[in-house]
Amino acid sequence: MTGARFPMFRRRNYSIRQKLTSMNMLVSGAALLLACTAFAIYELADFRTTMVNSLSTQAQIIGANSASALLFNDAESARNTLSALQASPNIISASIYTRSNNIFATWSRHGGEDAPLFPGIPTGQTLTYSFGGNELVLTRVIDFQGKRIGAVRIRSDLSEVSGRLVRYTGIVAAVLAMSLFAAFVFSSIFQKATARPIAQLADTARIVSREKKYSVRAPTTTNADEIALLIEAFNEMLGQIQERDSALQAGRDELELRVVRRTAQLEAVNRELESFTYSVAHDLRAPLRHIQGFADALIEECSGQIDEAARGYLTRIIESTRRMDQLINDLLGLAQVGRQELRVQPTKLDPLVNDVVRDLNHETQGRNIEWRIGDLPTVDCDPGLIKLVFHNLLSNAVKYTRPRDPAIIEAGQQTVEGERVIYIRDNGVGFNMKYAHKLFGVFERLHRREDFEGTGVGLATVQRIIHKHGGRIWAEAAVDRGATFFLTLPTAGQSKTL
Amino acid sequence: MTAPAGSILRLRRAAARPSIRACLAAGLIFGGLAGLRAQTQKPTEYEVQAAYLSNFGRFVEYPARTSAASDVFNVCVLGPDPFGSLLDAALRNEAINGVPMAAKRIGTPEEGAACRIVFLTVSKESQLTAILSTLGATGALTVSGMPNFARRGGMVQFILDGNRVRFEINLAAAQRARLTLSSQLLKLAVAVRRAP
Repeated sequence: MTGARFPMFRRRNYSIRQKLTSMNMLVSGAALLLACTAFAIYELADFRTTMVNSLSTQAQIIGANSASALLFNDAESARNTLSALQASPNIISASIYTRSNNIFATWSRHGGEDAPLFPGIPTGQTLTYSFGGNELVLTRVIDFQGKRIGAVRIRSDLSEVSGRLVRYTGIVAAVLAMSLFAAFVFSSIFQKATARPIAQLADTARIVSREKKYSVRAPTTTNADEIALLIEAFNEMLGQIQERDSALQAGRDELELRVVRRTAQLEAVNRELESFTYSVAHDLRAPLRHIQGFADALIEECSGQIDEAARGYLTRIIESTRRMDQLINDLLGLAQVGRQELRVQPTKLDPLVNDVVRDLNHETQGRNIEWRIGDLPTVDCDPGLIKLVFHNLLSNAVKYTRPRDPAIIEAGQQTVEGERVIYIRDNGVGFNMKYAHKLFGVFERLHRREDFEGTGVGLATVQRIIHKHGGRIWAEAAVDRGATFFLTLPTAGQSKTL
Repeated sequence: MTAPAGSILRLRRAAARPSIRACLAAGLIFGGLAGLRAQTQKPTEYEVQAAYLSNFGRFVEYPARTSAASDVFNVCVLGPDPFGSLLDAALRNEAINGVPMAAKRIGTPEEGAACRIVFLTVSKESQLTAILSTLGATGALTVSGMPNFARRGGMVQFILDGNRVRFEINLAAAQRARLTLSSQLLKLAVAVRRAP
């Protein structure tokens, strides 16, 4: 459409109807013009020949009638003969010459004309003529009884030819105009059979491509020409596309249905598994309490009856039950995270992390820890769960920097490939990146319990919470050179519906 | 040579100017030079008459002849020849309808049987009636410069009009001799005498 503004492209924007019309008119106009021009040229040439012939005849008659005058030297009689030409309106003047090419008699329609010199006739010819200006000059030998006795020269006006040319041009112009009009009318009529079906086809194609509506069909014509074939093929193509489109849609619907069904199944299984974990952990507690209670009772109430070795065993039993209790608590926490609904709200991370640090400071009396807490963003999250995340990550950092003096623990944010990432870095013992894939597994531990206590559930819980928020978590580390945990969370106001 | 000159002078009308008379007289006096002079100066009266004599035959239709003379178109002069070589010159290489022309001098009207045209000199004026009646039977065109020739039964009479040589025609006389004169010729005549 922009091309319409530039005249040089305008022609391309003509519709087929306009192109056909102008084509028809051009063709008929050109043909007619050629024919008329040819006729006009022929007519003019023919008219010239006729004119020469007629003038030659007149010259011959004049010659025959003035032969005696020439022979008996009677110029008066010759002039009388010439003056008969008065009757031919085209003739301007005429002269008769003697055998020795001297002027003998002359006549002029308007009088006063000087006798022209003898124009000369090439030997062996009886006639010469020349078209010049707007007149024809013809000279003819006067023969009398086989003897050349003089010559006659006639000047004729050609304005009749010019008039004829003007009339002819006028007729040609009129015929041309009428023919073009007729061509326009006829081509308008014939367009019903050609241009209109094409225009309708184009409209249909436009609707299909713009609205992606494959149910429309181009109107068919009663003709059996190429256009009808084209329309038929186009409609057939549309039909195929429509079929394929609906098949595709059906497939997609089915797939979606299957995904929904599978997801429901998975969710059910998952829920079952979680409730199983929860009930197992919960149900394990009661017997564990009993073991713990009776072990305590044994030590306190029957201390006189048991020896030192038995007391040692009992102490170990009590310690183990405490650890098992811790394990059960952690497992219950993990299961809780899975079961719990997220209560998402915009949360400032700075005060949250500071709370966690304050809590941890109580537990780290006597240690030299340098906290470097930078600016943290506000994110959409469940503040209770995210607090748990930071508690786990920071307490890990405290734990694995135990051999360091001072221990340096950092928290902050940075942009990695256009994404905002929160990091927690320590200068602790780190880990071998070879085992990084095991880091977030349940009960997976990369360090001996003797060196660093723990159940192996904490990072699994952290990962589960982050994933539940739609974020990601990963870690980079090297042995004895500290570890860095990275996590992403949706920025406030941008979280998806969970 | 003076006799013909005098006859021509008599031929002229009273209106003829003396200068022309003198000129013509001079021309005839130096007749031997006439042919030479004709090329450069105005033709003399006899030159013109000789030319006319060579042309009259082209406008006359003769009745079918049986005589053997039809293989030559003779232009005859009856009486003392005023033309000298002028007539021979005018007729040289001329032909009418393929018949070659020739000049012929005759002494009697009877010889006119071999002639198509007979020119009568002024000297024959006294015997004109007898001569014309004889020639009338031969079917020749009679031409003369003598006054009243046409009126007296001659067919073509030369007349000097100013400095131009013209002629009068007696059509009735020609018709009596069964000659048909072309209208082309008649229209040039000063006067045409027709049968009453």
